[in-house]
This record gives sequence, C-alpha cells and structure tokens, in this order.
Amino acid sequence: MSIRKIMSVLLAIPLIHLATILPAFGQAAESPAWQSFLRERVKFGGFVENATGLSIAAGDSQFSTSNRFIMNRFTIQPEFNVDFAEQVKFFISWRFAKEPRYSKEAKDRKNNVPPLQPLKNTYYDEDSFKPWEMVIDVKPTDRFKFRWGRQFISWGETDGLRLLDVINPQNGSFPPPLAPNLFNLDETRVPNWGFRAFYTIAPLTNTTLEFIAMPGFDEKKKRVDESAPLAGRWAPHPEDRLPIGRLFADPIPGNAPVVIPLITRVYPDAGDNWKIGARITHTFGQLSTGIGYIWGYNPQAADMVVKKIGDPFLLGPPGPGTPTGVRLQLMNDRTSIYAAHFNYALDEPWSTAIRGEFAFYPSKPYNISKYPGSTGLKAGPHPKYSDTDIIEKNTLRYAFGFDRPTLIPFLHPDDPWRAFNLSLQIFQSIIFDHEDGIRSFASAKKINKVSTSITFRIGTGYLGDTIIPDVFLAYDPQGYWSANPAISYVPPWSEKLRITLTAAIYGGHNKYGSLGLFSEKDSVFLKMRYQF
Amino acid sequence: MRLFDIMKDWQRIGQRVRVLLMFVVLLSLFFIANANAAEVDLTPGDTIGPHNWQRVKDMVGENMLSRIKRGYTFQIKAPTRYQPPREYIEATKKYSGAVKLGPKGELLNHVAGLPFPNIDPGDPQAGQKVAWNFYWRWQGDDFKGGGGTATGQMIRYAIEKDGAERRADFYSYFLFPHTRVSLDPKPAIPGYEHVDSIQLRVDSYPRDSSGASTLEYRYSDPNRPDDLYLYIPSLRRVRRLTTTQRCQTLAPSEFNLDDIDFFRGKITDFNYKLAGEKKVLTNYAQEHVPYNRKKGDYLPADEKWEVHEVYVLEITPKDPNYCYPKKVLWIDKVAWETTWGMTWDRRGDYWKEMMLFRIPGKLDDGQVVWQQGTGYIVNVQNGRSTVISASRKFNMGLSPTLFTFDTMQTINR
Repeated sequence: MSIRKIMSVLLAIPLIHLATILPAFGQAAESPAWQSFLRERVKFGGFVENATGLSIAAGDSQFSTSNRFIMNRFTIQPEFNVDFAEQVKFFISWRFAKEPRYSKEAKDRKNNVPPLQPLKNTYYDEDSFKPWEMVIDVKPTDRFKFRWGRQFISWGETDGLRLLDVINPQNGSFPPPLAPNLFNLDETRVPNWGFRAFYTIAPLTNTTLEFIAMPGFDEKKKRVDESAPLAGRWAPHPEDRLPIGRLFADPIPGNAPVVIPLITRVYPDAGDNWKIGARITHTFGQLSTGIGYIWGYNPQAADMVVKKIGDPFLLGPPGPGTPTGVRLQLMNDRTSIYAAHFNYALDEPWSTAIRGEFAFYPSKPYNISKYPGSTGLKAGPHPKYSDTDIIEKNTLRYAFGFDRPTLIPFLHPDDPWRAFNLSLQIFQSIIFDHEDGIRSFASAKKINKVSTSITFRIGTGYLGDTIIPDVFLAYDPQGYWSANPAISYVPPWSEKLRITLTAAIYGGHNKYGSLGLFSEKDSVFLKMRYQF
Repeated sequence: MRLFDIMKDWQRIGQRVRVLLMFVVLLSLFFIANANAAEVDLTPGDTIGPHNWQRVKDMVGENMLSRIKRGYTFQIKAPTRYQPPREYIEATKKYSGAVKLGPKGELLNHVAGLPFPNIDPGDPQAGQKVAWNFYWRWQGDDFKGGGGTATGQMIRYAIEKDGAERRADFYSYFLFPHTRVSLDPKPAIPGYEHVDSIQLRVDSYPRDSSGASTLEYRYSDPNRPDDLYLYIPSLRRVRRLTTTQRCQTLAPSEFNLDDIDFFRGKITDFNYKLAGEKKVLTNYAQEHVPYNRKKGDYLPADEKWEVHEVYVLEITPKDPNYCYPKKVLWIDKVAWETTWGMTWDRRGDYWKEMMLFRIPGKLDDGQVVWQQGTGYIVNVQNGRSTVISASRKFNMGLSPTLFTFDTMQTINR
C-alpha cells in the first residue's frame, strides 16, 4: 500500500468518527434537525476576485515586450465551515483561478522567442476540484487537539517576507515580489497535506507542544517552487534561463561562447518528501517565546540549488554557431532549521511590540562559481567545486520587528483615536565560513557573508475605514529598494466589496537583489474582491 | 416730584417686583418639582415624543433626548425585574462581609459574589465600590457572547452619518476563573487565582476578517498590565499588542476595547465618583433580537422602554493621556449592569453615547436571568454609530485550554 493510500485511510478514520458522532447525519435531509444543523452549524463564505496589472515600463534589461498587460487574474474561492460539535470542526475550500492574458502572451512569445517554447497558456490556472484547503479539527481531550488535511502551517513573526514561515511553499509564479498589499502571504502560500497536533501543557502561559508532519503530496505541482528561483513571475520564460548556464560550465572552445542549461527536476516520491517539525511555546510575563526544529527541504524557493550532472556537451555539430549545453538538476536538498521566535510588549512610554525570529541552518547548500570566469565571461565553474558546484555552509538568519501604533490626531480629524500602524523589520542573514563565489542560482547574484534587508510599513483607515491607505517599503543597503503603496476602498454601504489600487515599484543599480528577484517590471494593479 | 417721592415709588415698585420674582421662583420650583415627579409618574402605556420630551429629561443620554425632541417616539412599559442567580446571592452573603478596598483602590478578600452589596452614598469610597460591583456583577462563571442566538454570533452594524451600513459578525468567550459560584471547581480554577478574566473574541464575517481574534488576560494585580494578543489571518501569526491599543478605535465601529460592556478598563487605573442616584429609561425585556430599526438608524423602532433605578458613576483616568478624560455610567442598582454610558473629549465636548437593552435568558437549571440584547454607540461628533446585538449563553463549562494561541490559529478556517 502506498503512503498516499495510507494517508487517505488516515483521513477517512476521523471522518467516519465524525459521522458517527453527528446525530444529524442520521436524520433525513428534510428533517428539522438536519435543517437546523445546516442553518446553525454550517457556514458558507468565500470570495470572487479580479486582479489586473499594467506595467509602467514596456520592458527591462532582461526582456523587452510591448505587452504591458501583465496580469488579469480571476479567482473564485468558495469555503465551507462546519461545526459538528465543540470537539470536531471541518473546513473545506476550493480555489479556481484563471489568467486569460496568457493565451495572447504565449502566442507572442512563440513568435518572438524561438526556438524555446513558451509556457502553456494554462500555466497559471487553478482548475482542479481538489480542495484548496480541507481540514478536520478534532479535540479528543481537553489538552490535545489535532488538525489533519490539506492546510497551512505558519510559524514565525514576520510580515511581507518569510523566515520561519517556510513550512508551506510559496507560489512565486503569479505575485510580484515584495508586494503584500497586492497578495498577502496567505494568498501566496500553497497548502499541503499534513498533520498538526497541539498538546497544551499549561494554558495560562500558553505552554504548548506542537508537532507537524507533511508527507509532501503536493510537491509535484509544477508552479510551486520551480518558477521563483528563476526569478519570479517571468521566470519560466526562456530569456531568464540563458545566462545561468555559464555559472556551471565554460563554453567548449571553438564553438559559440554561450552555455545553455538544460534544467530538469526529479521529484521525490511521496514519502521521501516529508517535512517534520516540532516546537514548544511558552509565555514569560510580557514575553511570548517559542523554540522549534524543522526537518524538511528547500524551505524557500530562493534557497534552491542546482546540481551539475555530467560534463558539458555541444548542442549541435561543432562550429562557431553552436552553443554548449549543460545538464542541471534542481535539488530537493534536505534542510534542517533550528528555530526560535519571540514577541514582547513594551508598554508606555514605548507602546511598542517587539518581535523576532531566528533560524539556524546547519550545512545549508549553496551554489558556488568563480568570478570572473576563466573564458573572460562574467562567471564560470568554480575549480574547487566543479563536480557539483555546491558547497554547504552553516547559516544564521534572523529578523527583528517593531510594531508601534501611533496617534497623529491632526491627520485624523474625524477620529483622533484611529491609529497609524507603524512596523519596522530588519532581516539579516549570516553565512559562516563564507567563500567568495557563493551566489544565488536564481539571480546569479553574489550572496555576501552578511545580507541585510529592512522593511517599513505604515497603514491606517479613514472615514470609518472606508479608505484604507497602506505603504510597504523594502530596502537593501546594497542599493536595492522596492515600494508597494496601496489604497483600498471599502464602500460604506457594503462590507463585501473591496477595491485596491496598488503599485509595485522596484529600484536599484541592478534589479536582481537580495530583497527579491527583481526581474519585475514596475507595475500598477487594480484588485477587486467581492466576499460572500 | 421730589427725589424722596421717586425713591418711595421705586421702593413700592421694587416690593412688587420682589413679590413677582418670588412668585416666578416658586412657580419654577413647582414646575421643576413637577418635572422630577414626572419620572415617577411615567406609567406603562405613556407615549414619549417631541411633544413631552421634558418628561424624560435626564433619564436618557443627551443625544437620545435630542432625537426625542426631533421626533423619536416610544412607549413606556412596566419594568422587568430580575434577580441574580441564587448561588451568586448566596456567595454575596457569604463573602461580602470580608471584602474591603486596598490603598490603591484594589479589591481585597474578594472571593465571589457582589463585593459591596450595601452602598452608602455618603461613603467617600462609594464610587470605587460601585465600580467594583459593576466589575464583579453576575455574568456567569463563563459565557459565550453571541451564544444566545441560533447561529452563535454577535452582529454588529457600522452606520455612517448618511445611513450607509456595513455588517460584521463575531463571537466571544469569557471565563472568570476565580469567582465561580456555579461551575466546579469553585470558587477558583487551581492556578488561576490571580486571573480576573480571560476573553477570546473571534471575527467570523465578512470573510477576509474571519478568524481574526484577540485574546486578553486580565490580572488581579493592579500593577500587572493585561496580556493582549491578536491573531491576523492574512499572516497566520499571533501578535502581542501593547495595552495602549485598548484605546484605539476598532474601526469601522465606534468602539474601542475598553468600551466593551461599556467599560472594560482596569478598575485600579481610574478614579471614581458616585455622582448620584436616579431613574433612567432602559429595557430589560427587549422584544426583538436584534431590535427592529429603520435602515441607517441606530435607535430601536418599536421597542418599549422601562424605568430603572441607577447609580451615576463618574470615571476619570489616572493616566492623563487616556482616550476618555471623563466617562459616566448609569449603573443599574439590581443587576449592576450599565444602562447608559457617556464620554466627553478633552475639550469637554460630548463625544460618545452608549445604550444597551437586555433580554431574559434561562440558565440550565431553569433560573431566569438577564443577558445582553441590542445596543448602540453613537459618536455625536462625527455622526457615525454602531449597533450591536450580543446575547449570551452562560455557564458553558469553558476550559482554560480554549484561551490559547493554538485556538486562535485554528478556531476559524
């Protein structure tokens, strides 16, 4: 019996249990008990959404196109909540998404960028009836509860960027990076099948032991994790693949000075793909803390590495026009994360909540190359590590956040106690025993021993929160920045509707930076959501 | 005419004027006395409206009175009387004798029940004692806010000045772990003797805010601030909040965290003055839940009102930066629930007015008690108001394990 079947059986057990404890199931559908159950214990909700994006610039250094219509994403997400009993709850949702613009773009690309094939125009679509989320919450005892099903599990304290929030993969294919005002973290995470259990040791201090296990059924989903390393939304397209091969192989002399990578990805079978983690949380007075451990792989798309397979070869008959090819394989390397996080409230006069996360990765894999390359190119294979182009280094990442609600009465004449929420975050990554040549596979950008990023966010609401401005800024001291200003309108006559106008703007001397993979074009988006 | 004659004439005229003035004063006193007597004279079936608003002057908030002058009309009905559950009354008899106030106004030796069943208006600490009585009024050993309805939700409407409305649903759980009179263990859950209350509040509608929740621990120690947490569904994170956030508007409503139940501030953070006793209009047997109202208006359309006796409690913060420099509560003398609440801003201008009806509720053992019905808060300065309907289910036997971070992360969605 395969692990998938075992998991299915495991899912069926609580469902059967649930059916037996539910008296209403025994009633005829038209009975008053059943109707009462549907009315009182079943809630239906969800949303319909359209996000349209236009690029401000027609193209960038990587790719030039006249197509400014970069997003028209239509999403429907119906959701059901069922409270069977105090001890048993069930939630299910589906997500259907369609991006019709890609039909046109795929044709354009096919004409403009031969011979490499463009994406299928259904690449960004979600049309499966497989539930997006489907969880059952069971509380067998007062102190023990578990959640089983396709779900989100989020650890950590940060906003906009993820550090410990790496249990679920993030879909980097459709959202522009560092634009939480367009798609927040929860809209870009991908749910995974898994099991999450809590044992409350001391409820007063929130002392809880948590255990997670995810078999990794979903990892074959092509868009997940695969596209982001190749630079975000535009990543799967050929123009971004071209320079990467030079990092792993020199051109074969006497032929074209071009190296083209042939990237494959070997998906591990379910069962080889587990993520397992545990943590304990506790509150000491004003300090809430947690320590944990995650055993998994490729925690973030940008952390992926590729392994060189075999020797370079010619992509055609020898000659000055023939490029060199190199076979690369995207690796699902096992990764351990030792994690800690905290949250501390400083009252008057500071009125600030401080939060932090720490993630220690022992022997984290990195790709490494030689700069400059031996053939006069920008880079080439590292002579010391040329067999795989991978090295492993201990790495520490941490983040501190400071949240301060601030009153600025003269900016809120109709409601002086409506606060501005200010949030500052500082992220740092340190590679121990750092070596020159360590660089991001995705961007070919060197990764320094210490990388720093800073984010700042300010938001408030006007006129009874019908006008909601929010600005998210990110800055890398190496000279990169991004801005994601947004203004939302919630009509005073409907809580169901929300319209957001936002921009994603990127700057810096090189659009590939540690803050994200800035292959994005500066863009403006209009997002309309109707909740039901 | 000589000067003397003129003076005599003026004296004569003056005497007449004095007599006239005395008559006017006496007449005014008669009318004033008569007006006060009108409170007592309100009888079931009376109709109050713009033609006789004087009859309920000082019995409703300023804003409500203004609405009556402008046309709001309603009927008076016989008052509904409740008693707290017998076990609460017994606990009051058993424990209140030993209760006293500490040097900081903190409550000492309180075990369960009403701390100060006998209020002497001449007592300089009467205000503080009324405040503590309000704080420890009967609310069950625990309750679910919204639990009194079939759907288990509280419903809130944020109403703009022009009448546009937005709805939100939510529910809350309250646990009072060391003053228990009905549920075991009594009177305190072991380990929770220092915790006055725990509150978990969960948004459930509209969809995007569904699952947002706040968790609040209130400690007995006057020097220990509340622990306040917020779960943000879009991030799936539990965040710690500072206690200064208690004062911020919970937009789009006009409430802040301290406005919950009219006053959720920490008792020892404020000064209190018993400003009097009087009769006011309220409703302890609301007919429709939520009450019927005209769309865009916060006032009940067809509910009848009844007369109840209250204490007038004036609250001023010890912290000069607190949002409400003055708050006045009209606290029912029997239930110790607040019927009306009023706040003023730093300029001394009238700011917000709150009112809440009650409905009868039945405990599992058959005792009939009062519980929250529908009420409103109106910001008279910006014209926005919020209507909330919040019936409760008491003594559910909630476990402390409900009030944890993992509940926040999994309670909705």
